[in-house]
Amino acid sequence: MPPRLQLLSRASAAVTTHSHQTLAPFLYPCLQQHRNASILSELSDNKGAYNKRIRVGRGPSSGYGKTSGRGHKGQKQHGKVPAGFNGGQTPDWIVNGVRGEKQHFTTEMSPINLNKIQYWINAGRLDPTQPITLKELASSRCIHGVARDGVKLLSRGSEELTTPINIIVSRASASAIAAVEKAGGTVTTRYYTDFAVKKIRAGQMDPIHSLQSRIIMAEDSVEGAEIAADALVEERKRFRFRLPDPTSRKDLEYYRDEGHRGYLSHLVREGHGPSLFFRTPGTGSRSGKKGASRGGAKKGGAAESNRLW
Amino acid sequence: MASKRAQLPANQLCNAFLSTPQPAQRRLIRGMATEAPLPNANATLAQAYADAHLTSTLAIPPVATPSSTAHTTPRAQNPFLSTASCTTHTFPTLEPATFVHYPSTHLLLPLRKDLLHRAVIYEGDATRQGTASTKWRSEVHGSNRKIRPQKGTGSARLGDKKSPMLKGGGVAFGPKPRDFSTKLPKKIYDLAWRTALSYRYKKGELILLDTEAELLGVHPHSAQRYLKDLLRQNRMGHADGRTLFVTLERREGLFSALEGEGMGRDARALDVLDVDVKDLLELGRVVVEKSALDFLLEEHEDDLGPQQRLGPWERVMEAQQGVFSSSSSSSSAGQEAAAAMLA
Repeated sequence: MPPRLQLLSRASAAVTTHSHQTLAPFLYPCLQQHRNASILSELSDNKGAYNKRIRVGRGPSSGYGKTSGRGHKGQKQHGKVPAGFNGGQTPDWIVNGVRGEKQHFTTEMSPINLNKIQYWINAGRLDPTQPITLKELASSRCIHGVARDGVKLLSRGSEELTTPINIIVSRASASAIAAVEKAGGTVTTRYYTDFAVKKIRAGQMDPIHSLQSRIIMAEDSVEGAEIAADALVEERKRFRFRLPDPTSRKDLEYYRDEGHRGYLSHLVREGHGPSLFFRTPGTGSRSGKKGASRGGAKKGGAAESNRLW
Repeated sequence: MASKRAQLPANQLCNAFLSTPQPAQRRLIRGMATEAPLPNANATLAQAYADAHLTSTLAIPPVATPSSTAHTTPRAQNPFLSTASCTTHTFPTLEPATFVHYPSTHLLLPLRKDLLHRAVIYEGDATRQGTASTKWRSEVHGSNRKIRPQKGTGSARLGDKKSPMLKGGGVAFGPKPRDFSTKLPKKIYDLAWRTALSYRYKKGELILLDTEAELLGVHPHSAQRYLKDLLRQNRMGHADGRTLFVTLERREGLFSALEGEGMGRDARALDVLDVDVKDLLELGRVVVEKSALDFLLEEHEDDLGPQQRLGPWERVMEAQQGVFSSSSSSSSAGQEAAAAMLA
């Protein structure tokens, strides 16, 4: 009945709306009664801290009564059966074999995407004017801990990156490199061991410079060499441990590659590839000299300037 | 908070019955300068900070570590640090006396109810006496003789008369005296402690005293009456949620007055060694001596780095204040001095 409902709603509305009393605020204490409830009555831990307590055999309503989650009869109700046991028949894992094996030499890296780095810069947690290494990323909690082989830069959210950054990581994907350089920054990839990662995070090792990373611009004289050597000795005193360089072929070839922005790419001759075994096509002495004498090519390729004949 | 409170119109004060029980006028009297902006001197301070390339918040300078040449430029200052301003009051007149400052890491922490819960439960567990004791069937006094034959009687089979099934028998797995205390990492406990203080401060329920909280010139026979009247007049008694006094040492007059019959209905008093997180959260407000607050904050800052603790922070504050008070004419002199101080 519309009219009655309207009346009712109006009446209820009149009751519940706050009547604006034309009273001065200092009179409120005598009008209002309030109770002082402390926050103690509202305290609770996070949901994940609480676990459902299961007490078996305490009635049907608990869901664990009577058979207490064990089912009916059999060895499993009365005792136990070893895991994977097939009753004496050849177990499945022997018949079919287990899949794969443990790979002990995989590289484990902590991935970090460009959108998170930009978010951290916007929040003032990362300083874009300083080189960003795994130390800064870990201490600002951009990554939680560092995996044993360092950090890999990936390009999720690459369009969000607008700040030029100088970032030094273990590896970087091609699209991440492109995005950083498009924004005006630089990417350098360098080698880190698990020992190095630990010591860098503890502040006991330089995160950027190792022996082979240095491009020493010194005069080509005895004094120049001495100055360079003194500078290196001074550098060594700063940290307790020295940042290592790679020794395995795979790592060396990775960091000699300019496409990876590897820090050893300055050691590669102009026009040559990063491989330590394969010669780059077009750079050998025999190329383009099919008609020339073979005997001369063997010796001539070694040193053109001091050819004997 | 008081300044925000005063901006609310009167009709909204009435509606905010559940959230803010105390009307605006009380707040204005009590925590007048708790969150109010500092006088004009602060504007020049802020300007000088900006000139000296410091942020407007008082930041902690970086630790001088022997880092490589690539990192000679100073580390970026933490943009999250700020300062909490408190008013200290005299006792028992409760007039505002001075301003004091504390870092945001100590009195402006975000509310973390889960941490407070963990700390309160940890304290409760440690407080448990754990002396409930019962006798099990092996401990009840009696013989082990089988009281009736296994077969032949029409009744159930029974062993000794100490069985929990029988009247007078032992308790089945009843309580034994044990230690109920649990462990909580010290850093979490310290953070919870400062979170509780921050919560009280942000609500305007933390009142600092610059002197001792002692009833001076009050005869012990009239101390209880005096204290009751004092609390009622200042709206700190039972009708207003009760008060906790935290003092550096046991203040004889105040403490013995509050030990009287029925005085617990109005207030409690604890010294710094006895106060817990639960006590800080329980009553309507906490009146704490400044020396006691410093002691408590210094006791509970294990989760902070060495440069973030109260001592180093106060030294930095004093250095900056000294710089800005001494340099009058040129701001560049102030810049150099500030740089020298912080280097």
